[in-house]
Amino acid sequence: MTQPTIFFSEVNERQATFHRRAFVMGGLVGVGLAALGVRLFQLQVVENDRYKSLSASNQFNFRLVLPPRGRILDRNGVELASNRPNFRLLLLKDEAPDVEATLAEVSKLIPITPERARQIRRDLRDGPKFVPVSLAEDLNWDDFARINVRSAELPGVEADMGEARVYPFGGAFSHVIGYVSKVSDADVKRAGPNPDPMLLNPGFRIGKQGVEKALDLELRGKPGGQKVEVDSRGRVVREDPMGDIKPTPGKEVVLTLDADVQNRALEVFGEDSGAAVMMDCRSGDLLCLYSAPSFDANSFASGLTTAEYQALANYDHKPLFNKALTANYPPGSTFKTLVALAALEKGISPSTVHVCNKAWAWGGRVWHCDEAHGALDMKGAIAKSCDIYFYQLALQIGGPDPIAAVARQFGLGHVFDIGIPGQKPGIVPDLAYKRRNFPRDPVWHPGETPSVGIGQGYVSVNPLQLCVQAARLANGVRAIEPRLIHAIGGVVQPSGAAAPDLPFAKENIDFVRAAMAAVVTSGTAAGSANLGLGPVMMAGKTGTAQAHTYAGGHGQHGATGAWAGRDHAWFIAFAPYDDPRYALSVLVEHGGFGAEAAAPKAREIMRVALLKDPQVRARIERPLPMPAMPATPPGQRPEGAEPEPPTDIVAATPGKTA
Amino acid sequence: MTASALTRPGERERLVVKFGQIDWTLIVLLCLIAAAGGMMLYSIAGGAWEPWAAKHLIRFGLCLLLMLALAVVDLRIWFALAYPIYGLAFLLLMAVEVVGHRSLGATRWLQFGPLGVQPSEIMKIGLVLALARFYHGLPAPRAKWSWNLLIPAAMIGAPVLLVAKEPDLGTAILLAATGGAVMMLAGLSVRAIVAGLAAVAAAIPPFVMFVLKPYQRDRILTFLHPETDPSKSGYHILQAKIALGSGGVLGKGFGLGSQSQLNFLPEKQTDFIFATLAEEFGLVGCVAMLALYAAVIIIALRIANVSHSHFGRLSAAGITATFALYVMINGAMVMGLAPVVGVPMPLLSYGGTVMLTVMVGFGLVQSVRVHRYSEVGRGAGLI
Repeated sequence: MTQPTIFFSEVNERQATFHRRAFVMGGLVGVGLAALGVRLFQLQVVENDRYKSLSASNQFNFRLVLPPRGRILDRNGVELASNRPNFRLLLLKDEAPDVEATLAEVSKLIPITPERARQIRRDLRDGPKFVPVSLAEDLNWDDFARINVRSAELPGVEADMGEARVYPFGGAFSHVIGYVSKVSDADVKRAGPNPDPMLLNPGFRIGKQGVEKALDLELRGKPGGQKVEVDSRGRVVREDPMGDIKPTPGKEVVLTLDADVQNRALEVFGEDSGAAVMMDCRSGDLLCLYSAPSFDANSFASGLTTAEYQALANYDHKPLFNKALTANYPPGSTFKTLVALAALEKGISPSTVHVCNKAWAWGGRVWHCDEAHGALDMKGAIAKSCDIYFYQLALQIGGPDPIAAVARQFGLGHVFDIGIPGQKPGIVPDLAYKRRNFPRDPVWHPGETPSVGIGQGYVSVNPLQLCVQAARLANGVRAIEPRLIHAIGGVVQPSGAAAPDLPFAKENIDFVRAAMAAVVTSGTAAGSANLGLGPVMMAGKTGTAQAHTYAGGHGQHGATGAWAGRDHAWFIAFAPYDDPRYALSVLVEHGGFGAEAAAPKAREIMRVALLKDPQVRARIERPLPMPAMPATPPGQRPEGAEPEPPTDIVAATPGKTA
Repeated sequence: MTASALTRPGERERLVVKFGQIDWTLIVLLCLIAAAGGMMLYSIAGGAWEPWAAKHLIRFGLCLLLMLALAVVDLRIWFALAYPIYGLAFLLLMAVEVVGHRSLGATRWLQFGPLGVQPSEIMKIGLVLALARFYHGLPAPRAKWSWNLLIPAAMIGAPVLLVAKEPDLGTAILLAATGGAVMMLAGLSVRAIVAGLAAVAAAIPPFVMFVLKPYQRDRILTFLHPETDPSKSGYHILQAKIALGSGGVLGKGFGLGSQSQLNFLPEKQTDFIFATLAEEFGLVGCVAMLALYAAVIIIALRIANVSHSHFGRLSAAGITATFALYVMINGAMVMGLAPVVGVPMPLLSYGGTVMLTVMVGFGLVQSVRVHRYSEVGRGAGLI
């Protein structure tokens, strides 16, 4: 206080500055707070709608509700694939504090195998965090109810009722319909960058084979949504039943198959390996598409163990293989029908006679036949299936090309659009084929032609193709196409009947048909292919196709020797002979002689189809007039007492094993 | 009590008189803010006092008592303790560097038995006191522009660098801005202010790119483009904006904010509590809340203005500046106008340390008011 004046003036100056500056500071704070207010107005009033919807999409979620998968029916509405309720037990990972304790507690109530427990632990470890893990499927009602009652003691365990795929006929349709199975990583990858959310749902099953795979998208349906309120970790806080969206069920698929015919095929094949394909020869509808032996599709749907799968995969009868479509076999003597037609179309007379002495020397080699048929015309050669006749007929035709042209008209070498994948085209050899596939030896040698004449050599086909061949022969007019899918979701698919005409003279086709009738009445299949349905008769052609060259002990003619070395047995047929309705091809893999192994099976399968046909039935049940007796009445040569004359030979054509 | 009674020598030293001089309006406003905080904490706990609301209110009660006690502490004692408090805080900041307790990737705490101390919080009070004391003895021309100003610059810079190194960017910014505000209030020349602000603006980009730690840089870059990464760093910003924006004018209602109730809003009880308030009470609630803060700031500035001592003026205004910066930085951060730097909303957010700092600060402001007529000597020495 020694210099009060100076002191105070100084203080006053500082005070004045402070007042000014404090005022400025207050103003700046005011501006700052006002800016916050403006920002609040912008967010809460101007952009309110946008943030409201963002908030709602945070808050609400739609839990996927899987649609019921579309049923698959046969032509008469019989269920081939449907759904059944599946009581299952789920474990919600984040709600189970001690997974091991919960598992132990659950296994006291229902049995959990060690293998299953391993699987559960793997799912718990690898699965997404909020996706529940399945503890048990297909619980019976008692177990389901018992766990429901005790659920309070089992934290995180939830009893759930879902749907499971069921195949009522087990194995009969497994190759055609396929099966459903858990979605694999590859399935998700294949679905592209935005996979269907259903694929990621643990309860969803995807079609893996056959119709289930080919029509998977139609069968799936559209998922529904259950509106739920979720927290930031995705856990459900509340449910909102008012906001649910109903799922759209998958489309129903109706097939042209007939469950009775297909089941009969399953029965007659038993443990044998092979395939049976039946077609309506007027419409092209497939009534039977069976591959033997089969497997139970239900076990695939519920999940196979590795051991079960290995047992199927390693079995030499190859049950997982659809032999009706994918396997390729030489057609053997069934091919003679087409060779004969090619000859007739070339102007070769059906009364041409060749003499069979069981062996025939040509081209520096001896060609064999099963027996000495003597002098035969073309009809007799088809009926008796004489190889030596057809060696010479093929040479007379002058090469493979005219035969191949006829074979292609009958569907050989062709892949048909029947709606399911997996067909193999096989081989119809001609000069171009040889040139294309054998660059070191591109020339067709005359010595290769006789083999083609008896359906050996390079020729290979699948049973569907031979069925189409039989159906087109039976139809006689149009090159009908096979159809498997009758309708998808009520929309009928185009019929196979609207097809172009066969470019052959009617009398030539009629000749071949008459010869096929003779096969059954007096030829190789006399007796074994007799339907026993009075006036309704079958026409057909046997085939015994060499599976391996017989040289070096690899294979043997007929049904002797090691199974895998035996001949393939074929029978193609249509019936009734005078008014064809159904065409059929039967393959018995390594079955031996066609007349012994394939024809009786064809007879049984054909009978079922004929007896279900009301018009055919009316004919059979009409008592009068008596039909003309067949040339060889049934019973005169009891089946099996005296073996049928073997049909095919076995031309030792090196390097041409089928 | 008449005015003449107050002029009686020694009368103002009586405790009862001192309590009478406390600004009770300010106390009521602070109580309202803290109560709003308690209410929001009750709401986001799903309508429960635990775990936040009860503790928040109890702490506030204790802090209020502390504030009243500090309000009657003579301003000359504050003045005498200004440098020691600053010095202590500085030593503790250095100690944090050496033996600090690591938590969440940053070293901010010192552990004294059961007591965790955050030296940067002590520094918030200490810096204001030390600067006010320094300027108290500095004539106006020198405060405007002179070599003497290197001293306050160093007083601000040293702790800011130490805190930034912890790293605690939010507190460092707060300290630097508070120090700058005090220098400005003390009469720094306008040219120097403009030049300083320009220098800071120019230094920000290189500072962000080369000095900041990657996570800090990410926060800032994410702030500029929140859409680029909505699941990680941008998540806070986006969810806070959704909470605010979806509140609308009137809000979703007490306890009905889906963003906060369902945990979409991160740090909902601390840094982002204002977003919860905005969601549940809308624009109306937000403006009312900001008005409360504005009223506190105005009253505190008026207290600074009526003080007869330069020390009183600058310390009260410095504390006010800190408080205002808290509010504005947090508000801007929650509304997506500033990067997420971890500055809470004072008295509204849950958290004892900041509440203690703020209430000690207001204890100082009240003391300035109670002792507004006190003469404070020029104080040649350190104490």
